[in-house]
Amino acid sequence: MMPVGETLLGQIRAVYLGRATDEEILKRKVASGGAVTAMLTYALEKDIIDGVVTAKRTKGLEGEAVVARTKEELLETAGNRWSIVPFAARIKAKIEEEDLKRVAVVCLPCQAQFFGQMRDFPILETDFGNRIKYIVSLFCMGTFAFEAFLNYLRVKYGVRAEEIEDIKLSGDFLEIHRETGVLAIPLKEAFSYLQTGCLVCSDYTGVWSDVSAGFVESEPGWTVLITRNQRGEELVRGAEREGYLELRDGSHVLGDVLKGAREKLARAQKNMAQLL
Amino acid sequence: MVMEKLKVLHVDIGGCEGCNVSIIRAYPKLMDSVELDISYLRDGECKYDEYDVALITGGVCMNEPRIGEELKEIREKAKVVVAFGSCASLGGILRFCRGGQAPRPDHRNFQPINSVIEVDYSIPGCPPTPQMLQSFFKYFMAGNETRLKLFKVTAGVKKLSGFDLIDDVVLTGLCIGCGACELSCPTGAIKLIDKRPTLAQERCIRCGTCYIRCPRASQIICLGGVKT
Repeated sequence: MMPVGETLLGQIRAVYLGRATDEEILKRKVASGGAVTAMLTYALEKDIIDGVVTAKRTKGLEGEAVVARTKEELLETAGNRWSIVPFAARIKAKIEEEDLKRVAVVCLPCQAQFFGQMRDFPILETDFGNRIKYIVSLFCMGTFAFEAFLNYLRVKYGVRAEEIEDIKLSGDFLEIHRETGVLAIPLKEAFSYLQTGCLVCSDYTGVWSDVSAGFVESEPGWTVLITRNQRGEELVRGAEREGYLELRDGSHVLGDVLKGAREKLARAQKNMAQLL
Repeated sequence: MVMEKLKVLHVDIGGCEGCNVSIIRAYPKLMDSVELDISYLRDGECKYDEYDVALITGGVCMNEPRIGEELKEIREKAKVVVAFGSCASLGGILRFCRGGQAPRPDHRNFQPINSVIEVDYSIPGCPPTPQMLQSFFKYFMAGNETRLKLFKVTAGVKKLSGFDLIDDVVLTGLCIGCGACELSCPTGAIKLIDKRPTLAQERCIRCGTCYIRCPRASQIICLGGVKT
């Protein structure tokens, strides 16, 4: 039999359910329990890292790579993006401009793969893997081909890009938040507008990361944290020890995560057979 | 208990010497676990009849039958053969030799070593960094095949370059616009325009770094979806 744990969820050291202890983090539009924001706040405030490189939504579904050095800056980046930010080259420029020696990167599985490979196997003299202290990957079902997605929203629902304030996932629906109200779109319908490249991706959790974070329906308000190595474990446990993070054992939700991973792999295999 | 050192042979079959310098730079940190038999550090023949790993650098000159023979001999001597650097693993810049060029005007056909012998791992890079070799041995000695999978599958591929990246990932619509290729290109041949890579053909040296650094392409070759 195929070693499922190894191929679908990668190397696992421990699984936790985490929640920020800080009210302010919980109040903001965090995706689930705010554990990622809490962990990184801990790493910043205890001077374990110099900065966090992540994406911030600018307008509509567009985002840009930013460096957060404080809790406040970090909070501004929390929330979903739904489109990929061409992060890699931008990140290098940011790290060099701001002379960051120890950074945490919050990214999607594909980007975690790239950064993880760069850290483990530096092919180029210009690689900056040695500056990447933590790679935190978010669970991902894909990013939108946003031109097509926005066009679909405009044609079918009359929603203009500039009206969109936020997009959230709620059960089987995608909620489009606008000033005038919330529009719920069946997820199945929206999934047709994912980037084709995402449809052949088989990595749901980000197997190259130190910590994977995401949420499962059965534990609302909590972030699932999968630690993969000593570094990841230190980040999560350190944040708990210093009172930034509340932790529970999360091994009972691993089945739910595996379900998502299986769906993504099955989709990748189906699409790959069609596309390649 | 003293762990026996890995017997490693290095052979250069022709190239710019960048990879060799990289191996020598990597050696101080490998000395505790690896005994490197490298022509620069000895006179005459190879030290042993058998090796755990053979590192081969440079591309095969197909106009020189002697090199093909040498490679076959190395294959017999070593349990594991590693193509180190883009020329050995994918042909690299030597693919552009046209004959009649200085400084070796007589040679015009260079291929990666997997055109001649079976290769176990291919490590592209022009040249790969010393740390890359240290990492390779770290995971190799730990038996971590998951981490080394990408280099194992690359050993079965004869060419990967910016051209292949455009063909396999951009033209098929599979590019997700992450920018990893742009960052990985050592010659600045790739630029992202409207979140998709474009290739300045004359700058591509066929080192394959962009291809194996592309999250989509590397995932696809690891899942077996690439031409060999």
